[in-house]
Amino acid sequence: MAVTIAKERWTSKVNEMVIGVEPNVVKVGGDSTLPFLHFEGEMPNKPVVALEVWDMEPPDWPAVLTAPFAGVLGDPAAWAKKCVEYGAGLICLRLAATHPDNKDATPEEAAQSALKVAGAVDVPLIVIGSGVEEKDAAVMEKVGEALNGRKCLIGCATVNNYKTITASCMVNGHNIIASSPLDINLAKQLNILITEMNLAADRIAIDPLVGALGYGIEYAYSIMERSRLGALTGDKMLAMPVICFVGQEAWKSKEAKTEDNEEWGAQERRAILWEVVTATSFAQAGGSIFVLRHPESLKQFNTHIAEMMKPNNY
Amino acid sequence: MPDFLVEFDPDGRQAYISEQDNLLQAIAAAGIPLKASCGGKGTCNRCKTLVRAGKVKSAASGKLTEAELAAGYVLACQSTPESDLVLEVPEESRLSEHRVVLDGLPAGESNAILPEDEGLCKDGECDPLFKKIVVRVPGPTLEEAEDDLGRLFRVLRKQIGADHLRADLETMRSLPAVLRQSGWQVAVSLTEARGYKAVGVEEVEPDGLARKYYGLAIDIGTTTVVVHLVDLETGVSLGVKGTYNRQAIYGDDVISRIIHAVENKDGLRELQKAVLATINELTADLLREHDLKATDVRVAVCAGNTTMTHLFLGLDPAYIRLEPYTPAANSIPALRAHRVGLKIYPQAWVQCLPGIASYVGGDITAGVLVTGMAFSDQMTLFIDIGTNGEMVLGNKEWLISCACSAGPAFEGGGVRHGMRAMRGAIEHVRIAPGGMVVDFTTVDSAPPVGICGSGLIDCIAGLYSAGVIDRSGNILPDLKTPRVRESDEGMEFVLAWSHQSGRKVDITISEAEIKNLIRSKAAVFAGVNSMLKMVGLPLDAIERVIIAGGFGRYINIKDAVGIGLLPDLPLEKYTYIGNSSVKGAKMVLMFRRAREEVEEIARKMTYLELSAGNTFMEEFVSALFIPHTDLSLFPSLQPQ
Ligand code: FES
Repeated sequence: MAVTIAKERWTSKVNEMVIGVEPNVVKVGGDSTLPFLHFEGEMPNKPVVALEVWDMEPPDWPAVLTAPFAGVLGDPAAWAKKCVEYGAGLICLRLAATHPDNKDATPEEAAQSALKVAGAVDVPLIVIGSGVEEKDAAVMEKVGEALNGRKCLIGCATVNNYKTITASCMVNGHNIIASSPLDINLAKQLNILITEMNLAADRIAIDPLVGALGYGIEYAYSIMERSRLGALTGDKMLAMPVICFVGQEAWKSKEAKTEDNEEWGAQERRAILWEVVTATSFAQAGGSIFVLRHPESLKQFNTHIAEMMKPNNY
Repeated sequence: MPDFLVEFDPDGRQAYISEQDNLLQAIAAAGIPLKASCGGKGTCNRCKTLVRAGKVKSAASGKLTEAELAAGYVLACQSTPESDLVLEVPEESRLSEHRVVLDGLPAGESNAILPEDEGLCKDGECDPLFKKIVVRVPGPTLEEAEDDLGRLFRVLRKQIGADHLRADLETMRSLPAVLRQSGWQVAVSLTEARGYKAVGVEEVEPDGLARKYYGLAIDIGTTTVVVHLVDLETGVSLGVKGTYNRQAIYGDDVISRIIHAVENKDGLRELQKAVLATINELTADLLREHDLKATDVRVAVCAGNTTMTHLFLGLDPAYIRLEPYTPAANSIPALRAHRVGLKIYPQAWVQCLPGIASYVGGDITAGVLVTGMAFSDQMTLFIDIGTNGEMVLGNKEWLISCACSAGPAFEGGGVRHGMRAMRGAIEHVRIAPGGMVVDFTTVDSAPPVGICGSGLIDCIAGLYSAGVIDRSGNILPDLKTPRVRESDEGMEFVLAWSHQSGRKVDITISEAEIKNLIRSKAAVFAGVNSMLKMVGLPLDAIERVIIAGGFGRYINIKDAVGIGLLPDLPLEKYTYIGNSSVKGAKMVLMFRRAREEVEEIARKMTYLELSAGNTFMEEFVSALFIPHTDLSLFPSLQPQ
């Protein structure tokens, strides 16, 4: 008996965001269906991966994660180049040194680091602060200025600091990451606040603050799925592509941090799997930009995505 | 263990406390009204007290300034005595400063829903809970020698059409003499008592000697208590008085009161004493003004939320707060005044209006009664916004209710310069774009001393449309107005400068308070939306909205819709009815039909527990925005 393929008819689609400048642009979003349902609608852009680069040596990365970057960890520009060699579609520069508990680097110093990385690679840049809201606002003001015209994706803007970061994006032509804690309404509220400052909706990416496998992944999954359904049914304030900071979450897990042992086996394989499984799950939920840490995770994730992007045979 | 004598200056009152007791307890014992918003946790600074003489030990000094500490101020709740003391409770810590004047309802808080007081009993349709009627009892003869009581009952049955009658011992003791002395014409006191089928014959007096009789309608609110002294023959309220509930010293909201009752050895007694003192004092004032005796008051009807009713009667409130939220009693039979502790005629019945659940009490059944919604075709939404937001939706077919914690903000609590709608309260605010200029009006056009609920609603709406705050309530950076400034407690906005104000201080609202108000309004709106979802109706199915509560005289409906407190419905669907709780109590006092209706309302109304399931939380978060995350729910606010 022939199987009839049920198809939903959606009225709307996810915004398409352009990061970077020609000829090295990366486009994300634009989907007019749920992830990978090629038979039902368009999925013009595949999910992309950014590898993480820091402006200081990460103090608590395990050896299995620092090994691929041996020799470049103290030098963000070299580190970024290495990431491109590993096949990163974008670089995500984390300005961890600006954290008051780290080096408390000034916004100007942060801007210098960002410029160095931008000068070293061709791929588009994502730049994020240290997560201290007030400091991030000050930092992004300068970083946005320094990277003027490069159409980066910068953040993370929260309900408490979005004003300054949005202004910086508008003046300097960047895209913005809007972070809100795992709640579809809060995400939408921040998007409204940002667009009401007149930043175009297609220059916003939603960061739903996902958790890793075993750490609330199902919750993040359903939030992402709901925002995708919102986007497809015409909710303009949920029609933004989603960015998932998977690396930071996966490498925080006990499963990734625990060294080789008999019961759990080799750390390297286990940690990478943790990162990959988290990322591929979110790709299924509708994530568009994936910030990962290990080059092997990037490879495995891209292999998976390549399979998933093949047209369906019906 | 030594007891220390604490004297209060200039009040001339005294109290004895032990070295373990804190000064707040002394203040409570001396009966000085004070509002300990935080319930004595040392966080609200409301209990600031000056030590004029003696030594105290303070565990914490909260937000007292250097200057205040140097001047000898302490937080009463955080301080214990080390010697005899002389204390001064400064004006700003007191409630009495604004002793609520409700004598005569303020303009706008209309009584329209009740028949005009004057004519309440004109058509003879009054049947108060207590009344005296004159009857002629035929005397006995040898042929017809029925007993005195049987003889009286037979006449009464005919005259009032009651099947069941009951007399108490006192009546029977005095009956033979009274009947014979009065020549068989007597005034009989009749009462109906909730939970008793029979009409009670309370007293038999010789006709012509009987005194006039009165009743009380009482609203026991968490924040304020209101008493009407009612002439039961005419239904006229001879006087109305209101004041702060003395329980305020044990915390702002029902939860902190319950905690006080449960966690302190004498907590429940203290709370009961405090509310009884409040009611008894108001009653005594009313009686004095009308030259009446306590014994002239022969019945009282009380409407209060479930917690207030429990505390009033000394019922254990512990389980109201704990899952699955079970009150000791929703439906309370009539009780004798002397058992309850009301200082009126000792044998008078005290009736409490029936409640529905832990957070929907007799004040709400009273409100529903007043609105008439339970017997109307129109789909009605009734919202009582006080410390708790209680909502009822429905019509004559069904009624559903729910309650959310709106916080005390709309009654002026939890906001540093918040107050009730009394003289000097800012009740209307207009803010020019950019926040440079603020226009306001105050109650009685007095110099501003604070801001009341309706003013706060205006204020949020005004700050948003002036571009001072964003939809989340953040004060925006880079504003050019001197009214926005940094304070110890974060950003704040100056509504009135000290030179304008009646208190010589700037009247401000802080960002934290704005966000708090947004939480309050979100809770109310989320409650309404949760009920609608439960019954599967859209917002525009609501045909009228009736608002009750502590907003003050005029709530600006347009601004209330503008901030997303109330649903976006045409303004003509809205009515404000003021204190519906006391009006309901008065109706029950005066009309049999109202008594029957209130019972039916209590039977019929279902309760939606918002803490069960996820709907409410989701609704709440989406309402934490001006006006709402789903802007399509507020079509009239969309730019055209
Ligand atoms: S600080 Fe003393 S009662 Fe709140």
